[in-house]
Amino acid sequence: MAQLTKRGLIAAVVCSDTFMKLGTAQARVFGVPDLPLLKIQHPLGGLTMEKVRERAAVALPQLLKVVKEKQS
Amino acid sequence: MSSLAAMLKAPGALVECDDDPEAVYEFLCSKGWSDGLPVIPPTPERVERMLAYCDRDFEKPVVRIPPRFGAATPIRVAANAVMAGCKPEYFPLVLLALEAMAEDQYNLYGTQATTHPCTPMLIFNGPVAKEVGINAGQNVMGNYFRANAAIGRAVRLALVNIGAAIPGTGDMATAGTPAKFTFCVAENEDNSPWDPLHVELGFPREASTVTVIAAESPHNVNDHESITAEGILTMVAGTMATTGSNNAYYAGQPVIAFGPEHAATVAGGGMSKAGIKQWLFDHATIPLSKFSQETIERRFRRKLAEQFANAPLDTPVHMWAKPEDLIVIVTGGAGKHSQYVPTFGNTRSATRALKRVDGELVKSIQELKRV
Repeated sequence: MAQLTKRGLIAAVVCSDTFMKLGTAQARVFGVPDLPLLKIQHPLGGLTMEKVRERAAVALPQLLKVVKEKQS
Repeated sequence: MSSLAAMLKAPGALVECDDDPEAVYEFLCSKGWSDGLPVIPPTPERVERMLAYCDRDFEKPVVRIPPRFGAATPIRVAANAVMAGCKPEYFPLVLLALEAMAEDQYNLYGTQATTHPCTPMLIFNGPVAKEVGINAGQNVMGNYFRANAAIGRAVRLALVNIGAAIPGTGDMATAGTPAKFTFCVAENEDNSPWDPLHVELGFPREASTVTVIAAESPHNVNDHESITAEGILTMVAGTMATTGSNNAYYAGQPVIAFGPEHAATVAGGGMSKAGIKQWLFDHATIPLSKFSQETIERRFRRKLAEQFANAPLDTPVHMWAKPEDLIVIVTGGAGKHSQYVPTFGNTRSATRALKRVDGELVKSIQELKRV
């Protein structure tokens, strides 16, 4: 994602709340401190499809907001 | 003033605190620069002494350690080696281990940040391990021996202090492992019936190597009754066959570390290392039905669909991907015990030989002593 961002593409990373500190630190390390992180509830593993859809529903509006902001 | 002391005049390179041992301990813990245990204060004089056997440029990074990708320069690593309690003679081995861990196949980034409880297991082979006193005998994976304790601890401190493998931010291990304090052994080459690991991997016998493995804690194999190779290996296979192992999802390179007595029994039956690997691969299996229904459906049927999409429930699941992936060593002292060491999944071992800057193999650590 860092490489895509550096190439000028709109990119974002889905990140569970427990991993936000790691995600934020890594974005800084890879030279893209403003890389959008789409925050969802932890965990990602061991979810039913219903729970996966719930997380997708939380992430999607954040993604659309990023895309709109980057395009404007 | 030494060159090191001059270097340390850079802003922020030096910090000061009371030299009382308890005050130093409190200070370093408050900064997050310890592993939770007391350390030796890395004063400029001590760091300089630690570099006595380092033939590298003190300021040139040997590796970059993720997730921060901090520059592991000899001077920075030396500060951590001082804190860990290393003798200067150990220092080239600490650097060597870090270099090996930086090889792509080891996946240092993944092993640092994962939720899995892995840590670098360092296996030393060759004459230098014996010269500096890395224990290969009784209680080899336990406490008491300075080289084993300090070399592994120095690596862990470097992973934290240079790489920022800080629990909860850079090291996301759910529970971790006590082996994160240190996990450093030498192979007991004198009591092995087989070629040592480095020779098996193609290095000259006189080379001194480290093999790094992203390991879990060792799992004991107690067998006081078997007197045949098949008997010992049956007990080993049973210990290996666990549903919760990452290796059961066909990745990684687990280790079987035979105690010398078990090794003698197995070799007495005529078993080569290759034969052991094949035998254990064939026998360390679990029927697919023993995994949870969800794991069968979601991991085996989908992620490993090529092998398991339509596999019957009595299909044997091997405990790792290919027979030759198993690492076989002999270490420890007297007694009827061996150790099985499962690993992280997305990783391969890496082995490096200790060399001088001119590329020649180091046969004695004294060759590296600065004049």
